[in-house]
Amino acid sequence: MTTTVVEPQLESPPSPVRRRRGSGSRDAWLLTLPALIPVLVLSVIPLAQGVYYGFTDKRAGLGIATHVIGLENFRKLWHNHLFLDSFRIGLIWAVSVTLIQFVLGLGLALLLNEDLRLRWLARTLALIPWAMPPVIVAIMWRLLLDPTVGPVNQSLKDLHISDTGINWLGDFHTALPAVIMVGVWVGMPQTTIALLAGLQGIPADLHEAAAVDGAGAGRRFFSVTLPQLRPIIFAITSLDFIWNFNSFGLVYVLTAGGPGGKTMLPMLFAYNEAFRYGQFGYASAMGDVMVLLVVIFLGLYLRAGLRRADA
Amino acid sequence: MRRPSKTVRTGQYVALALYLIFLGFPLLWLLSISLKTPRELASISPHLIPHHFQWSNYSDAFDAQGLLRSAGNSTIVALGSMVLTIVVAFPAAYALGRFKTRLRPIATGWILVSQLFPVILIVIPLFMILRSIHLLNSLFGLVLVYLVWTLPFALWMLRGYVAALPRDLEEAAAVDGAGRVRTLVSIVLPLLRPGLVATAMFAFISAWNEFFFALVLLKNDNVRTLPLTLAHFVGAEGQVSLGPLAAGSVMATVPSLLVFAVLQRRLTSGLLAGAVKG
Amino acid sequence: MRNRVLIGAVTGVAAVALVAACSSSKSSSDNGGGSGGGGGKVTLKFQSLAFQKPTVAAVKKIVNDWNAAHPNIQVQYSEGSWDSVHDQLVTQFEGGTAPDIIHDEAADISGFIQQGYLADLTGDLPDNVKSSVPQGVWDTVSADGKIYAAPTLLQSYVVMANTDLLKHDGITVPDGATLSWDDFQAMAKRATTGGTYGLGWGLKSPTATILSLSLNFDGKYFSGSGQDAKVDVGDNEKQVPQRIHAMAYDDKSIAPVTLTQSGTDILPGFYAGKYAMVVEGNYAAQQITEEAPKSFHWAVLPPLTGTSSNQAADPQTLSVAQSSKHVKEATQFVSYFMQAQNLAAVGQGDWLIPTTQSARDAINQATGGSSGWAQTLKGASSQVAAAFQAATNYPRWKDQIATPAFQQYLANKMSLDDLAKKLTSGWGDVNQ
Repeated sequence: MTTTVVEPQLESPPSPVRRRRGSGSRDAWLLTLPALIPVLVLSVIPLAQGVYYGFTDKRAGLGIATHVIGLENFRKLWHNHLFLDSFRIGLIWAVSVTLIQFVLGLGLALLLNEDLRLRWLARTLALIPWAMPPVIVAIMWRLLLDPTVGPVNQSLKDLHISDTGINWLGDFHTALPAVIMVGVWVGMPQTTIALLAGLQGIPADLHEAAAVDGAGAGRRFFSVTLPQLRPIIFAITSLDFIWNFNSFGLVYVLTAGGPGGKTMLPMLFAYNEAFRYGQFGYASAMGDVMVLLVVIFLGLYLRAGLRRADA
Repeated sequence: MRRPSKTVRTGQYVALALYLIFLGFPLLWLLSISLKTPRELASISPHLIPHHFQWSNYSDAFDAQGLLRSAGNSTIVALGSMVLTIVVAFPAAYALGRFKTRLRPIATGWILVSQLFPVILIVIPLFMILRSIHLLNSLFGLVLVYLVWTLPFALWMLRGYVAALPRDLEEAAAVDGAGRVRTLVSIVLPLLRPGLVATAMFAFISAWNEFFFALVLLKNDNVRTLPLTLAHFVGAEGQVSLGPLAAGSVMATVPSLLVFAVLQRRLTSGLLAGAVKG
Repeated sequence: MRNRVLIGAVTGVAAVALVAACSSSKSSSDNGGGSGGGGGKVTLKFQSLAFQKPTVAAVKKIVNDWNAAHPNIQVQYSEGSWDSVHDQLVTQFEGGTAPDIIHDEAADISGFIQQGYLADLTGDLPDNVKSSVPQGVWDTVSADGKIYAAPTLLQSYVVMANTDLLKHDGITVPDGATLSWDDFQAMAKRATTGGTYGLGWGLKSPTATILSLSLNFDGKYFSGSGQDAKVDVGDNEKQVPQRIHAMAYDDKSIAPVTLTQSGTDILPGFYAGKYAMVVEGNYAAQQITEEAPKSFHWAVLPPLTGTSSNQAADPQTLSVAQSSKHVKEATQFVSYFMQAQNLAAVGQGDWLIPTTQSARDAINQATGGSSGWAQTLKGASSQVAAAFQAATNYPRWKDQIATPAFQQYLANKMSLDDLAKKLTSGWGDVNQ
């Protein structure tokens, strides 16, 4: 009898924190186990190979041997001013789209968070860009912006804003902005939903407490909502930036990198090198450089965000 | 409770309407195109409502090359991918979000590199690996690939949602003697519901719309997914069978919207007011 | 205890996964497609890119007829799409799982030929097939004197005109053997009246068009072959770009908006009478027949001619994968495909020009030369191999140097001399 009385006491820990830290590491590995094996085989290994190819001369060809050539690809890249120029366009594109996506997405998320009528319908319709198959999205927007048969130009003419319509995708000045707008349209759902989920996770008490203290809607937004959303904002904007920087399929169908190279994104170069010219090694080197530069760019952004989030 | 004033409410409805016009108009136009004749599609004054309704675009799309079967394949792959992603990512994200383990920087590194490195460049190594484990040309192999390539997003986002959770509830549960799994399932899971729903939506639509992996990893016509079948309407030299493609695309959009409509109901707070009193 | 449950669950899922994986691999075959031992039944995988309804029907009929006549060599038909076939082939070649019979086009396969992925068909193609196609077209699918594909269908750039508009402007619709560039430019200028332009030209992707039509003036741009090719932009090469520029900015006879649109995108303006003529790939005739208003009357004008009517041939091709286990049998099917009636059926479905005279005659008979077929079929005889097709780094030069440069020149943002300089120096940059 004495033992049964004593054992439960020994089992209950002196403090919750102590117990968590002790078994934390083991539990972490256990919780991540189902993910580890497929990730290792289907993601880590191919990625490692891809990164490694950047240091080789791997190219397409029957029975062609691959040799390690060290930094030769990178030396070539350093002189490839077309590729380096594309980084400028890539950055303008990625930063613009991410920023606008975030601002518009936050606005929409706030609206969808409210108790409006037919909220379910609004939330579903807001996800239309996500629901449309990618193959048709670019074709649709090309059609919508078409100078002859497109409704956008038709409306501009009807509203007497413009006489002849604007050649959105063909004019040297409007091509990049037009393409950015389409990029924003495509990315709105993921940003909106991520932020909406974040908004839903904010305890109502915090709003209540702030309201009781006399804060109006605006003050509450800045002192309660934004701080609570911070980890999610950093998570989705950094991911959006990465995806936007890496995207090229959409822009390719819209403009094929034109006119005059005004919308040639870095990924397009990597894709062409690998698939059109068969230079897998060189293309992988481009990939390596893109990873490196964006990681540096993001590193500063994220370190600030993650530190604050964990506090 | 603070109710917004009437003017604010009206302003909100107007703003929402503007958003929905921007986001939804292309679908309306797509619907319009799917009902037009080639002659009308080539006329230079476009109207939203077709002059002559051509329903045969839908039957053309339907007849073409196994649209129904590929839609079925896509459904299996997308639902499977969605469920697996949630099941696998939830515990892993919790671990990464709550524990200070060596796994965390490794995971962060992997997440960043996998999202940054051009996916198209790892398609060939991936192809070789899948071939050696005999998972080429199978829907299951595709689901695994989608799982693995959606995990970075899922982990990244869920970790953020986990970090935003107040620790009090978990600590209270631990004091009450709840084990790890109990805490996860009964305390954390409901709190994380909005984040999980968002992740589920993302996993579903990524798998539903994905083209490149499906193109390269599936060979037989009977395992083809929907995006591949739709690509057939785009021919050489930019010639597009616009009517049938639009019809097929409308039919491909509807299931996704249905899934979203169902899932968004659960995009609500899992927190009960007053649960986190000090 | 709970952790054990977790481990159990994980193992269970893994077990189910393995079972599913094994069963799915049984029902699918992932080897190159050839099966059957020596003397037994041979199965060939044929990927066709046909997407027009009549063409798909024609190709399926060819496959069925073949299968009925050759019980020991069965061909399996599968569909690819033009949009993605290149990426698909790159991966499949690397992985050794390409189809036996591959449908593609000459410009696309030149890379694959150099990489050794396509089988040499010189020995297996029968003489009657070899002699039915002109040498100039064979050259586009050969390297080092060996043939790597059978060229099936050609396309050419033709001028199409709105006959009502021309009549209205008092211009007789030419119907001779050729249309000289000078006459063409004069016609365009005369037809530019009262809010209508004389010409619409979709030059969003200008390089292929300009390089092909430059052969009208013997402007080859390239000399030599492989890695040693050189770019030279002389007077011959400058003819076509200069003439287009003159039409656009001196005569103002080209509708400016069309210069940045694709060929198919400018058609609605053509039907609406915004411009009297267009320059298109001849297959546009199909779209016009399908979409133009019933009141729209049009004709195909004679082939454009400078010092010759030559254009660069870029035929669709049928090749056999090097990794195929049954190259001989696959080549037999390819030869069957090339027979007059078969090629004619496919060509008619796609509105493209067969490479063999007999097939062209068959189409002429079947259509009576209507809908522009008469003029279109004439253009086939001036299709030749172009020097740029033999240059290894041509694709890179096209994407990174030539296309942006031509686009800027046509937008009047670059002078002709700067264009020439850019094209030549750019070749030095990319040909390393």
